Amino acid sequence: MDQLEALKKEWQSREQVFPKFTAEQIYPMLLKKSSSIVKWIVIISLCEIAFWTILAFLIPDSVNEFNNEMGLKTIYTVLNVVNYTVVAIFIFLFYKNYQKIQVTGTIKELMGNILRTRKTVRYFVYYNIGLATLLMIGINIYYYFNKEKLYDLFSQNELPGIPPEAFFSSFFIGQFVVGIVFIGFLMLFYWLLYGLLLRRLKRNYKELKKIEV
Amino acid sequence: MTKELEHSFVSQLEQNQNIVHKICRLYTHDSESHNDLFQEITIQLWRAYPKFRGDSKFSTWMYRVALNTAITLYRKNKRKVQTQDFEGISFKMKSEEYDSTVEDQLKLMYDAVKTLNDIDKALVFLYLENKNYREIAATLGITEVNARVKMNRIKEKLRTILNP
Repeated sequence: MDQLEALKKEWQSREQVFPKFTAEQIYPMLLKKSSSIVKWIVIISLCEIAFWTILAFLIPDSVNEFNNEMGLKTIYTVLNVVNYTVVAIFIFLFYKNYQKIQVTGTIKELMGNILRTRKTVRYFVYYNIGLATLLMIGINIYYYFNKEKLYDLFSQNELPGIPPEAFFSSFFIGQFVVGIVFIGFLMLFYWLLYGLLLRRLKRNYKELKKIEV
Repeated sequence: MTKELEHSFVSQLEQNQNIVHKICRLYTHDSESHNDLFQEITIQLWRAYPKFRGDSKFSTWMYRVALNTAITLYRKNKRKVQTQDFEGISFKMKSEEYDSTVEDQLKLMYDAVKTLNDIDKALVFLYLENKNYREIAATLGITEVNARVKMNRIKEKLRTILNP
């Protein structure tokens, strides 16, 4: 490759002209904040973990009371204990992966570690969406088999005078629609957020992997 | 102590800043992004500096951190659609005579390198900086054999770009 060799020769023999930064200009640069992708991934990941953890606290008391009366108290307590253990494990894994991100590693290591950190949080989100979906399906099946109790509780408090059939069809359709919209919205949000943030990194990682094949 | 560290870092960066500039020029398209990337590389270098033990040369260590930042950490500013190189390619001529044909060919070659993907660009850059395949492989995290094979393919690719 003659032209590349020529460029290489010139590249080294001639000095390339750039605007030189003086030490006085470099000092303030040390104080500036980084805007690296890692910083954003950490911020967003922590927000995700916080979001799913806080969500559990935001469920209104009336819902909890309602579930207690439906006879779901024990199962909810067990689920809560399991859930917090899983959250703790995820936070630990996330922290471990984050620690491995080193700008002084090889290009491949750095990319691999960032993607692994991201993957941990993605699994955390999958876990939450999966759990929410299963819970919703499970509860609705439970409701269905305890229809009378459900109707009694509702007609006592909120919906006096509605015939049972109309109540059941609108109740279950409502549950279904809200569930689908919620999950669809979350998926769109993640697709947009990480699609944009990680597109270039993934492309480069793939490129690097291809060299090894 | 911090002041001392800061002082030695800044003076080393000042001396070796051309390496960072060369990378910025390859990976950005206008002077604003160039300076932006320079800033980000400086931050990353400074953060990693306390762990720099001096078992390798400052400049060698710098290649890795700077390329990692340019390829992996830096988020390209998509708002600007400018693709024009901000001042054209400017190699300072050391010789008296100016051969415009050679200069044109170099510029074409340089432009061809700029069209490569981020990883290929890094390989070519290290090659132009006269790094051997062992060093290139160690910076990228691939094997030496693979680096060699890849470089041959890139040369082929560049030839196709220049002689369609």
